[in-house]
Parts: sequence; structure tokens; C-alpha cells
Amino acid sequence: MSVSKMEKLTVILPHDEVDAVLRRLMRLGTVSLSREEAGELTAAGLDPGAAAKAAAQAARIDAVLPLLTKRSHRKKPLFSIPVPFDPTEFKQSGDEEKAWKTVFEVEKVTERTAALKARLAEEDALMQSLIPYLDFKFSLDDKGTKTAVLLLGSLPAGIKQERIEALASEIGFVAEILSSDSRGVYLAVVTHRQTEQDTLRALSALGFLKASIPKTNGHATAIFDAAQSRANKIKSDMERLDARLDVLAENLTEVEILSDLAHTALLTEQNKAVLLSTKKCAVLTGWCPTRERERVSRALDRVAAAYEFSPPAEGDDVPVLLQNNPYARNFEWVLGMYSYPRYGKFDPTFIMSIFYFLIFGLMFADAGYGLTLVIACFGAVRWLHPREGMKRFLLMFGYCGISCIIFGVIFGSYFGNFPLAFMQNVLELAPEEMPNLALIPSLEANVAILFDPIQNPMGFLVVSLAFGALHLLAGMAVRAYVLCREGHPLTALFDIGSYWALFAGIGTVFFHRTVGIILIAVGVVAIVATQGRHKRGVAGKIIGGLGGLYSLINYASDLLSYSRILALGLAAGVIAQVVNILATMKGASFIGFLIMIVVFIVGHLLNLVINVLGTFVHTSRLQYIEFFGKFYEDGGSPFNPMKVSDKYATDVSEELENEAAEPAAAPQAP
Amino acid sequence: MEIIASIFSGRNIALLGAALAAGLAGMGSAKGVGMVGEAASGLLTEDPSKFGKTLILQALPGTQGIYGLITAFLIIFKIGILGTPVELTTAQGAYFLMASLPIAILGYYSAVKQARVAVSGVNLIAKRPDEVGKAITASALVETYAIFAVLVSLLLVLFAKV
Repeated sequence: MSVSKMEKLTVILPHDEVDAVLRRLMRLGTVSLSREEAGELTAAGLDPGAAAKAAAQAARIDAVLPLLTKRSHRKKPLFSIPVPFDPTEFKQSGDEEKAWKTVFEVEKVTERTAALKARLAEEDALMQSLIPYLDFKFSLDDKGTKTAVLLLGSLPAGIKQERIEALASEIGFVAEILSSDSRGVYLAVVTHRQTEQDTLRALSALGFLKASIPKTNGHATAIFDAAQSRANKIKSDMERLDARLDVLAENLTEVEILSDLAHTALLTEQNKAVLLSTKKCAVLTGWCPTRERERVSRALDRVAAAYEFSPPAEGDDVPVLLQNNPYARNFEWVLGMYSYPRYGKFDPTFIMSIFYFLIFGLMFADAGYGLTLVIACFGAVRWLHPREGMKRFLLMFGYCGISCIIFGVIFGSYFGNFPLAFMQNVLELAPEEMPNLALIPSLEANVAILFDPIQNPMGFLVVSLAFGALHLLAGMAVRAYVLCREGHPLTALFDIGSYWALFAGIGTVFFHRTVGIILIAVGVVAIVATQGRHKRGVAGKIIGGLGGLYSLINYASDLLSYSRILALGLAAGVIAQVVNILATMKGASFIGFLIMIVVFIVGHLLNLVINVLGTFVHTSRLQYIEFFGKFYEDGGSPFNPMKVSDKYATDVSEELENEAAEPAAAPQAP
Repeated sequence: MEIIASIFSGRNIALLGAALAAGLAGMGSAKGVGMVGEAASGLLTEDPSKFGKTLILQALPGTQGIYGLITAFLIIFKIGILGTPVELTTAQGAYFLMASLPIAILGYYSAVKQARVAVSGVNLIAKRPDEVGKAITASALVETYAIFAVLVSLLLVLFAKV
């Protein structure tokens, strides 16, 4: 319900303790670094080489990981659970060495596979060039005899044999067609050395190209066979390497832990770069939530470092950590998508979470869809063990699902009008036999407690706007509360109270005329009298007061914005109706029942997805613009503590737990 | 003349309304979703891991088509194409045509405009992936007017006296 109090932490430590201190603080995960002006100190960069080395190591492991993941037969859960591990044990048991060896070997295997692939392509090209000349009976590098020359080559496809023969007898050469394919006709030509030039000229006119074969030392078939056996050897080598990857993939878990270790090392180096230093000492400045002070002190007492906590000074950019109860904290990310409150200001998460719950349910009022959301979200949290961020995301939609169920029952929507469509089309009940439960009388059948929004859209519009009015009034109430807390009760009375008098008057005028009119008059007078109070001169004050009256328009347009609750509710309801009509169209037969199940599942799943997205976006919008616009002082930067990398594995070594158990006996350094 | 009279029957004019609502709003959404998809593919060539974020932005201008579809369906229900047919006068048919116009026109226009905001949202998350919420909100603001339009269309159709 509030923004956590923060303390500024300053640590002065010798260079050789930097690693130990950073490692402790990163494992605690409760201190964020801040970048300070260097002044007389140097902006550290204690060891730029180490940072580059850590980055290179992490990159090497990251390049190998996807390959191993693809090969691994390990079951892949939807949300991966971090593996517990102990860094000392990881090193001592030889797992670390095994992981590194795996990385090196995978690198080697990839490198060799690439080389083999290139060689295979070469052999393939050679075989392709040989295929047309396999029937040639002489060695490919045969230079002919003293008087005769041998030419190998191709003519464009579609050349007639007669044409070649005619040319052959005209000039005096012998041509044998070896083969032909879609690209050309391949031939061997024997001609006298004296007529070689004429032959070539005549053949060139037809489009003759000399054969280009990379290797010509022997018969075509022999070269081809040799190439083929080499290619087969390469292929079997590649298969062996491939099989080796499968074996290596069994070490995936170790490599993943190694990746986390490497990334932690990289993060440590990056954090180091933020520190300031003198020749012998480094200075670490950061922020820590006040309630974590004890734990941080205990961690720092164990190393040779001097530290102090101090309250934030004026002008400090204090990072913001929200602190909410187990229900409301699931909505913090919605607030984060907008902007965090400034440090020390009001945290609206809790009050927003209540209205988020109500408006989401009202906008997507359907017990069937709500139940699906509840089962899917709470089920995923219960059985798939998602991480904290994903868990909160799911829990929020789970809670919203509860709200959908409540409003769905009130407005009689169970997967749209499925109960009614089922009774009408499958059970074939007559309209007068169907239930009509609504408290507000309706001519048509329904299963609602209050009324069915599709039968009575105006009624639902009134409900929507009523919730909207409540939301807006709550926003104004928060503003009044914040103003009072900051010691401006008069401002609250003028800026909020005067409008409330007016709204209350508009509300009561329908029930009790005189009281209503008096309240309206009080409100109007108060608004005109107070809203120009910061303006200079009488004219300015009057114009300001009238401007205050004009701002009622803003309230009206804010209120009308809540009509989207009706529109989105109708959209979901009508699509569900269409699905139900299609699902129950075939009536009560076996085939009809099968069709019903398929159409029901596919159609309603689609509608659910579309409408969860739409409802989420528009419920958020109502919070961001209509609600936050009334009071919110945002612009804080989120608290982003130093952490170890725990993408795959969590460090469970007991070192820190032991420390936490020990009393803070060590004297605090000045 | 009889042919012309039968073409412009009340029922057919109402169906023209349904066709315009589904057709024009759907055109806008198709164009919009396409625009955002193109921009998103550009980003995904650099960083495929942002697919989830761009997908939400791409889906946003798709809702207008759904609103048009809903209006079309309601008109089809109301004039009994799927059940017992209702006799409509030409004037009654024209009422449905008019009722479909808000979502037909605004559905088209707002989908395209919303898509342009979503495209710039894709550029935003290319540089600052954490600000996806702001990109979505900015784009969703445009949709407000399509929602108002579908509200008008739906109320007109729901309250039609046939």
C-alpha cells in the first residue's frame, strides 16, 4: 500500500574486497547501485580487461546453449524452474570442468561440421559435373593421338542429332552423343588436328561449351566413384559428430548452470564499472529499502569495508519499491506499465486493484469464461511453478476471473447464452417453458439474477456509468486524502469538496428537489468562488471560477468513457451467442453432439482470447486516464537491485543463511 | 421494375447494412493489422524474442473488424436470416442500413489510424522494450471512438422495431 522507505548506502572498501562485497550484495538482491558524480575520484573501471573476458565467456556459452537445448531429451516445461546448486560443490565435483569441456567440444563439433559441409558441397559439385560424361570411354585428360583431337562439351538442349551429323560430315569430325538432359546435349567429338579450329568454330556457332570438370585424372566413372565414396565418408563423419552432440546434450543442465555463473561474473564486472575509486579504495553508493538494512549490514560486517546508511537527501533520485499486500501486489505490474509513483508519494496499487477487479469483471461478465480464466491461471501457478513476475501476471488474471464469475452470475451469462441456446435447440423447449429468472422483469427467457445485458442494454449502461462514477469519485477522494496528508486541507475542500457538493446535488435533486437545488447552488457558488483563487485581479478570479465550472465537461466526458464497459460486454456476449447458435444448430443427435463440442471449444476459446486482450487493455486505460488523471503523481524510477543471474539455476549455498542466523555482533565500522 | 423493387426489398437493404458493417470495418482492420505486421516483421528480423510484444500491438487494430462482424450478426439475427424470416418494409430495411453506418465508417477510419499509432509503438519497443505498456495504451486510445461507434450501431439494432 505504500512506497517503501529507502536509505542511501555508501561503502568504502579496498580494491581486493570489491569482488567479495559485490557478490554478497548481488546475492542479497536488495541493493541498487547509483551512478554518482566522479568529482575528485576516478570513475573506476578497475579492470577493463576482465569485463571483456567475462563478456566473451558468457557469449561463448550462450552460442552453444541453443544447440544443446535443441538436442536435449530433457522434458521442457512451459515455465522453467531454476535448478538448485552450490557453486563450491559445482566446482569441486568436477561439474564445472565437465560443463566447460562440453562447451569446448560443442564448439569443435560445430566448427568441424561446417568444414565437412563445405567439403561435401565440393564433392557434390564434382559429381554433378561428371554425371553427363559417365558414358565416355576414355580418360578425361586424354589429349588424343598425333593426328586426332578429343573434345568434350555440351550443346544447348533441343539440338537435333541430324543437325550435328550434317555438320560432322561437312567439316569432317565424329561426334558421339553421350547423354542429354533438360539443360543440354553432351557429346564427345573426335576430329583431325588440322580441322580442329573449323570444328570448334562450327560447333560454337551452335552454342558449344567445353566441359568444365574440376578433376580430370582418369575415367569419369572412376573419378565419380571416388568422389562418391569420399562424400559417403564425409556424411558418415557428419553423422558421427551429430550423434556426439546428442551425447553432449546430456550435460545441458551443467552448461546452463555454467551460463548463469558466467553471466553473474559479467554482471559483477558491469557493476564494478559503476564504482568510483581512488588508488587503493573503491566507493560504492546505492539504495537499499530501510527494512533490509539489517540484512545488508550483516553481509557487510563480514568483509573489511566501511559503510554507512543515510536518509535520502533533497534532490536525490530515489528508486521506488512498492510494498503491497499479497492480493494487491499482483497488480503492481499494471501500475509499472504506466509509471511508478514518485518517491514518498501515494502508491495507488491497492485502490486500483479493487477497481481493476470490479471493472474487469463487469466488462467481461461471464461465469463460463471467468471459470476458465480461474482454472487456467491458478492451475498454472499451482502446477507449473512460474517465476515471480509470471506468477503475479497469472494471479492477477485469476483474480479478475473470479470477478467475471460473480458478474457473470448476476447478469446470467455462462459462455454467453449457452444454457438458453442448449434448451432451445437441443432440448427443444418452447419459449414459455424456458426460465425467466431476472429480478428486473424481461419478456424473453434468461438465467440472470439482475437482468440480461443483451435484453436490457440501457440498464447495463446505467450500471456501467454508476461504476464509472464510483471510480471517478474514488479518484477525487484519493486526491483529497493526499492533499490533507500533505497539509493542504483547504485546497482539498475547494478543489474536491465544491465539486462533490455539486455532484451530490445532481444526485439528490431527483429524490428531494429543494435539498438537491440547495446543494447544486452551494457547489456552483463554491466552484466559481474558489477556482480562480490563484489568478490575479478580480476579472482573472471570475474567469478562473467560470473555468472551474467549465471543467465539469471533463468530468462528463470521463464518465461517458465508461460506456465502453457496455460495448465490450455486448461484443463478448454477441460473439458467444453466434458460437452457441453454430454449436447447437444440429440439435440432439450424436453427430450434432460431436459438432457441438468441437465448435463450442474452438469458438469460445477464440472469443476468450480476443476478449481477455480487449478487456485488459480497456480496463487498464480506464485506470490510467480516467482514474490516475485525478490524482496520480508519477515519474519514479523502479528499484532495480543488483542481482545474480538466475535464468537456469539458483545458488542455494548456505553461506548467506548462516549469516542471517548470526546476531549482528561485529561492531559497525564508522 | 419488379426486379428493381425486389432487389431493393427491405430485407436486402438491411443486408447491405450488415455487409457494409462487416466489410468496411473488416477492411480497416485488415489494412491496420497488415501495417503493424509489416513493421513488426522488420523489428523481428533484428530481435525475434520481441514477438509476444509486437503481437499484442498487431492485434489491436483487429478489433474494429470484430465490432463490424458483431453488428452484422445482430442485423442478421434481427431480420431472421438464420431463423424465421421477418417481413421488412423498405423503410425498415433502410433503418438497419443507417444503423450500420457508424461502425462501418468509423471502424474503417479508426482501425487505420490506430494501426499508425501501433506502428510507431513497434518502433518504440524496438528501442525500449520495457515501454510496451505505453505503446499499447497510446494505440488503445484511438480505439475509444470505434467503441463509441459500435455502441451506437448496436443500440440502434437492438432497439429496432421489427
